[in-house]
Amino acid sequence: MGKIIALHSYKGGTGKTLLSVNLASTYVKKGKNLCLLDLDFRAPSLHAMFKTNKSEYWLNDYLNGVCEIDKVLVDVTQEHGRSGKFFVGLANPATEAIREMSAKDRKWEMRALGRLLSLKTSLLNDMDLDYVILDTSPGLQYSSINAIVSADIVLVVTSLDASDINGTQRMTRELYNLFEKKTGILMNKVLAGILSSKKEKEKFHKHFNSVHNLPILEAIPCFCDVLRAGGTYIFSEEKQDHPFTKTLDKLATKIEKF
Amino acid sequence: MYKKLEGKSTQLLEKIKESLDRLNEKMDVMIEIQKHTQRENPDIPDVLDVMTLLSLPDHLRKTAVALCKLDQATAEEVAEQTKRARAVESGYLNQLVIMGYLKKERRGRKAYFYVEKET
Repeated sequence: MGKIIALHSYKGGTGKTLLSVNLASTYVKKGKNLCLLDLDFRAPSLHAMFKTNKSEYWLNDYLNGVCEIDKVLVDVTQEHGRSGKFFVGLANPATEAIREMSAKDRKWEMRALGRLLSLKTSLLNDMDLDYVILDTSPGLQYSSINAIVSADIVLVVTSLDASDINGTQRMTRELYNLFEKKTGILMNKVLAGILSSKKEKEKFHKHFNSVHNLPILEAIPCFCDVLRAGGTYIFSEEKQDHPFTKTLDKLATKIEKF
Repeated sequence: MYKKLEGKSTQLLEKIKESLDRLNEKMDVMIEIQKHTQRENPDIPDVLDVMTLLSLPDHLRKTAVALCKLDQATAEEVAEQTKRARAVESGYLNQLVIMGYLKKERRGRKAYFYVEKET
């Protein structure tokens, strides 16, 4: 059976969306059938990357019980697929929709959790997908915790910022550990100098494994080329031989064995 | 004659003890219910959302998450998910019912637990 992977972080701007999109593309390249869902209803992003108008419905509508998930999913295999099928589900970026989603009550959030949990049957069983990747809002938000509870694997994206490290440690104790999920850390935007040699890399991993009390799945260097692309295209799809793409290939394999 | 009387009083004492035990059980349930009706803000309904899940003790959270995944289930089905004994899960599920987070419905000989999702 396939797996649901949620990417989460304590702070915003850690690179969750960039890593979600590129990890999804990496799996599709490997022949996996996959669906990428934008659960960041406060700051929807994936619509800007996939620029599609093929769907009448948003993920907001699915969680509102207006439609089923098949009405939301957009097949982007033709534009972005390699050997696997690639679907995306987008969050509505309209200000009114963001306002509406942030005003939901606890009963609605409880029903939304039920709708997210049932994706396991509709996407992994019925559609036979290998992976569902959930891109979430940062911090302790209803939609993010709902995603964490629904996921099989949680990837926590952090930077080297002290407040980010501190917040991630707290969330590990008070959130991730409580739901007994397989959780791994992705250290993003690491200065290349810190990972200059094999010995330095080992030292880095050993240090942060103990700091976070969770396995560091990958330390992803900060690449100017990736920043320069500015999220206008899927980097790992276009730049197959770039070290960023190679790092994500390695990460995808590690997650498969995680 | 004395033996007969002794036997009768022993029987009587056992009956009184049984009644007291039953009374104690009922009192325990009532205390639990009272604890959860005396909440800080009585306007907030008992909703089994993720914030509630976070606030539950570990053993109840595991049961509650398993039930959320199953939608509705018997104690046996929950026990299959959590890999704990059926009797243990039955106790935890009933506790969650008393706390107002779950509903219980008898269908034939089986008891089904579920989360009330209607407004």
